[in-house]
Amino acid sequence: MSRIDKDKFKFVSEQEKVHEEFRPSLTYWQDAWRRLKKNKMSMVGLVGIVLIILFGVVGPVLTPMSYSDQINDFKNLGPRLSIYEIEADTYITISPDYSMFIIEKNGNLVEKLEELELSGPVVTDDARTDFVNVQSPSEQRKLNEEAKKTLLKAYIYNGEEIYLDFSGRVDKDLEHEYVITYKNREITERTKSVMNKRYPFGSDNLGRDVLTRVMFGAQISLTVAFVASLVNFIIGVTYGAIAGFEGGRVDNIMMRIVDIINSVPLVLIIILLMVLVGNQGLWTIVMAIGLVYWVGMARLVRGQMLALKEQEFVMAAIALGVSKKNIILRHLIPNAMGPIIISMTMMIPSAVFTEAFMSFIGLGVSAPKASWGTLANNALSGILTYPYQLFFPAIAIAVTMLAFNFLGDGLRDALDPRLRKG
Amino acid sequence: MGKYFLKRIVAAILTILLIATLTFFMMHSIPGGPFTRERPVPESIMERLNEKYNLDDPLIVQYYDYMKGLVTFDLGPSFSIIGRDVMELISAGFPTSAKIGLFATIVIVIFGIPFGIISALKQNKPIDYTVMFMATLGVTVPSFVIATLIIYVFSGLLGWLPSFGIENPLGYIGPVIALSGYSLSFVTRLTRSSMLEVLRQDYIRTARANGIKEITVMARHAVKNALIPVVTYIGPMMAAIMTGSFVVERIFALPGMGGYFVESITNRDYTTIMGITVFYAAFYIIMILIVDISYAMIDPRIRFEKGAR
Repeated sequence: MSRIDKDKFKFVSEQEKVHEEFRPSLTYWQDAWRRLKKNKMSMVGLVGIVLIILFGVVGPVLTPMSYSDQINDFKNLGPRLSIYEIEADTYITISPDYSMFIIEKNGNLVEKLEELELSGPVVTDDARTDFVNVQSPSEQRKLNEEAKKTLLKAYIYNGEEIYLDFSGRVDKDLEHEYVITYKNREITERTKSVMNKRYPFGSDNLGRDVLTRVMFGAQISLTVAFVASLVNFIIGVTYGAIAGFEGGRVDNIMMRIVDIINSVPLVLIIILLMVLVGNQGLWTIVMAIGLVYWVGMARLVRGQMLALKEQEFVMAAIALGVSKKNIILRHLIPNAMGPIIISMTMMIPSAVFTEAFMSFIGLGVSAPKASWGTLANNALSGILTYPYQLFFPAIAIAVTMLAFNFLGDGLRDALDPRLRKG
Repeated sequence: MGKYFLKRIVAAILTILLIATLTFFMMHSIPGGPFTRERPVPESIMERLNEKYNLDDPLIVQYYDYMKGLVTFDLGPSFSIIGRDVMELISAGFPTSAKIGLFATIVIVIFGIPFGIISALKQNKPIDYTVMFMATLGVTVPSFVIATLIIYVFSGLLGWLPSFGIENPLGYIGPVIALSGYSLSFVTRLTRSSMLEVLRQDYIRTARANGIKEITVMARHAVKNALIPVVTYIGPMMAAIMTGSFVVERIFALPGMGGYFVESITNRDYTTIMGITVFYAAFYIIMILIVDISYAMIDPRIRFEKGAR
């Protein structure tokens, strides 16, 4: 309630008209917005959505790499790297697939070390003295096999060999994960763990930046979601409005068609559509999802129309000779907008979900483009070794779903007071 | 009553036939035959292939053959897995899918409904918040993420569960959890809101005022009525769980139908795609039909409502 200034109270002369103070009258939308603002969860959702959109739109501009840039040397590097000091101020890190990299202390990757084919005499280390004094190639080969069995790799740095014994990765009983031997000195303790400067989210199996790819994936996934909801809105509202307004036989036939479409699992129709039109990337998925999910919207709008068209303002419009098209567009649909918007908000996460699902079974956008679903799918084969490659797109999907669900719940409460929880 | 059932059954059969027809013509309108390869197949081989699979017949004859086969449960040979019938593939894969789906449904019913009820009875208490938080998480995390996380944590890091296959009974745990995640959360939320709705009804107050024991009020009056919307959801859900299992089957490398379906899509194996689509659709429709009929038997209001509409 706005406070009324004391100064405003004064006697009016009889000639003066009485001037009244009104509280600003709120339209339906202003009122809904006011109620939405009160709902904390939905504001969190709204902020989350804005952040995700910014992440997808602005993010790729800021990162130095594009989604398709490959640096083959730096593949499969995680977001956090354990570094080992082999010399004063010289650090190395080891990737999950046992490549060795020179790295700066702050986590900046410098170069990949060349790997040495293990053959011929090796170190002076006691455990591996067998390698020394072996001459014949067949013996060498045999020992080479053994070297693989003892899980040993060798790299070259500044003309010196670095040996890496990674048996500790396989045999959990061993005390140290890695035993690094450089200039006859064994290093077993990692110096520290640093953030990967070049790839904050790690790199994938082709040396592409996962962060950039997740950002780019946001663009694709959100485009699919928004456009599919728009298609769903256009078809669903038109179809539902016509069926509901016309009523009678038209309504009956149109709704039977909806029933039939509804009695087939929607994912199957999408898959069939995608197979039918051929996988032409983004727009196929958008169309497929949009063309299938409108049935729910059509039902909802029809129900609204049936209720609204009996009301007096519609009768008045008919009596005034307003055309059918204008009655639907100007009078009926605006009045049904609340439930329609709620349904659209809820449609977006399910479109993201469906797109991820389609990409996951191989019907998504084609490489090198990637949506969140494709990223998750690609990460699947290496899940045990490179879990971060799945983790980030999965988090992105989950956060988006949560944000839209929160906003949707809030909108439902704000736009339809009848449904408010008691 | 009999008339209502008859109407529903006829409608279901017609829907299945319609879907089969649509699928058939959709598949046949795709440019290029099933044997189109990157390297062109020699004309004569193409002819032989077309002849073998009756693809040189006029479309209408092929359609007639297909529908005739459908009635006798013969879905034709697979185009890419040589020497196997689509029906064989389905009967090889379906038991696995059905078993996992059934277990998932059982998990959903025995966990989802009690959690929903408890949550409603303890509304706005910590237990309610915990359950609702879990349920929201379950709705928002895709099944393939749950599945891979299970593999990563329980098979990879802890080594408690096998990471693929179901030879070991423990192997069921992962797929069932991944498959039931979404619906479990949904059922919990649905039960909770429906229970809250029922608890506000006058007849609950009347029952309490009559001095009936609280537990009897809950069991005989509240829960029974609160479960009506849940039952409606569970029928189609069972069918949907089986269609949604492609991904889970793929991740856990289970020998179910989902694997064949995904494979048939990548191979453009049209007969298999058609066969499995029709099979799934038929299964889905039959499940809905069973639920609708049993529902109409329990609750006579439904019949009249549907009739009046």
